[in-house]
Amino acid sequence: MKIQHSLALSALGVVAFLLGWEAVAQSGIVPARLIPSPSAVPAAFLAEFQRGIWQEMVLASLSHYLVGLSLGAFLGVSFGTAAALWPIWDAFQAWVVRMLRPIPAIAWIPFAIIWFGVSEGAASFLIALTVFWINYYASYSAVRGVDKDLIELGHAFGQGGLIPRLFKIILPGALPGILAGLRAGLGQGWMTVVAAELFGISGLGMRMMEASGLLATHIVVLYMVTIALLYGVSDFLFMQVQSRVLSWQR
Amino acid sequence: MAAVIDLDGVSIGYGADAPPVLVDVTLSVERGSFVAIVGPSGVGKSTLLRVVAGLHKARGGNVIIHQDQRPAHRPVGLVFQDARLLPWRRVVKNVQLGLEGLPVSRADRLRRAEDALKLVRLDGYARRWPYELSGGQRQRVGIARAMAVDPDILLMDEPFGALDAITRNNLQDELRRIHRETGKTILFVTHDLEEAVHLADRIIVLGGSPARVVRDVQNNAGRDGAVFRDQVEKLRLEIADNYSI
Repeated sequence: MKIQHSLALSALGVVAFLLGWEAVAQSGIVPARLIPSPSAVPAAFLAEFQRGIWQEMVLASLSHYLVGLSLGAFLGVSFGTAAALWPIWDAFQAWVVRMLRPIPAIAWIPFAIIWFGVSEGAASFLIALTVFWINYYASYSAVRGVDKDLIELGHAFGQGGLIPRLFKIILPGALPGILAGLRAGLGQGWMTVVAAELFGISGLGMRMMEASGLLATHIVVLYMVTIALLYGVSDFLFMQVQSRVLSWQR
Repeated sequence: MAAVIDLDGVSIGYGADAPPVLVDVTLSVERGSFVAIVGPSGVGKSTLLRVVAGLHKARGGNVIIHQDQRPAHRPVGLVFQDARLLPWRRVVKNVQLGLEGLPVSRADRLRRAEDALKLVRLDGYARRWPYELSGGQRQRVGIARAMAVDPDILLMDEPFGALDAITRNNLQDELRRIHRETGKTILFVTHDLEEAVHLADRIIVLGGSPARVVRDVQNNAGRDGAVFRDQVEKLRLEIADNYSI
């Protein structure tokens, strides 16, 4: 499909979704408070924007997100790669991973507060945790999946030492899988941003909590849309980088 | 003539407890010669090549490569059956792989890669990605990559086995030319007797179970005609006599 066509179709889908939503809200089938109409969102945006709240919340969430994402991604890729490279280390940490893995990031909220207080650090920590696991597993299987023949090729041409093997064969070979993990982490990270801020750390999640306490559902929707847009933009930018980095693929 | 490689009583097996597949290989390869190793599949030809390349440990015996004292070269250059290019490197960077880590300046690396590409008649393809090449072109890049390290010996593991007949014939002719022009020592593994008789000036036949060298003949039967057919037929019988499953 041509890029203009797919862009046009995506835009059409969004418009249809908004129209359907507006129709349900306007029809009066359900009370306006339960489903705020999307046409109420621009006004809410203007009000929040003029008071400077919107910008402040976006910046706060963005900083939690970026810190948590980069920390979690870096550690996740490093630990996942290390476990895939060294069977002894893999065996050593396998059961620790099995025990820690099923605990959702939200379950760590009490500890996050005890360790970091109700602070930026706590939110970033929770985001990093979520992103860590996604990247850990993605990198682990990507590195394990690198063609053994290419590793043999490296040995045959003097690139068998750890550093050249890692940087010339294994990591480039695992890159598509690692990038897929990073991309999944990008989305999961935004979800955790909201969850982490619900308990009072300044940001989009906190503002949504405040607004829902006042039954200002149109403001809640404004921030939902904001998160959707932020995710959309970050995913789009990431895709641009990814297609450039992987231009060697057919 | 001086030897480039000496194999002395080499035996090969997979796994510690399994019986050896190849035993008692003693041979010496002269500098500048073109030696083909033939034999039925499973006989350990490719593994023998990997032992020479240092990728597989022999179970017994010695492998000695008499290295030249030239600087900035590697003792062996290996060509695989699947061209085995790194898909994320452009052709010219693939050819430079073996030069990385040698004391060669960036400019020299590039120059040597370009020379090697010229040798296989792929100048003009330096900036291509591997996926843009045909099977035969990829194999040429594989040969260029092995030649770029200026090896004492070029090891080729059924390099044309996966190609169509026309491309295979072309590349065989190219390889003869490259051998003539560069004088490189070549150790060439194949299961195709005609290919061996066509290319090599010495043919080593492996056979039996466990396999050993059953025949070691000088060959100058050329490309076709009665001499060529006789030589192929003789070797075919030789292998059949020693063949066991």
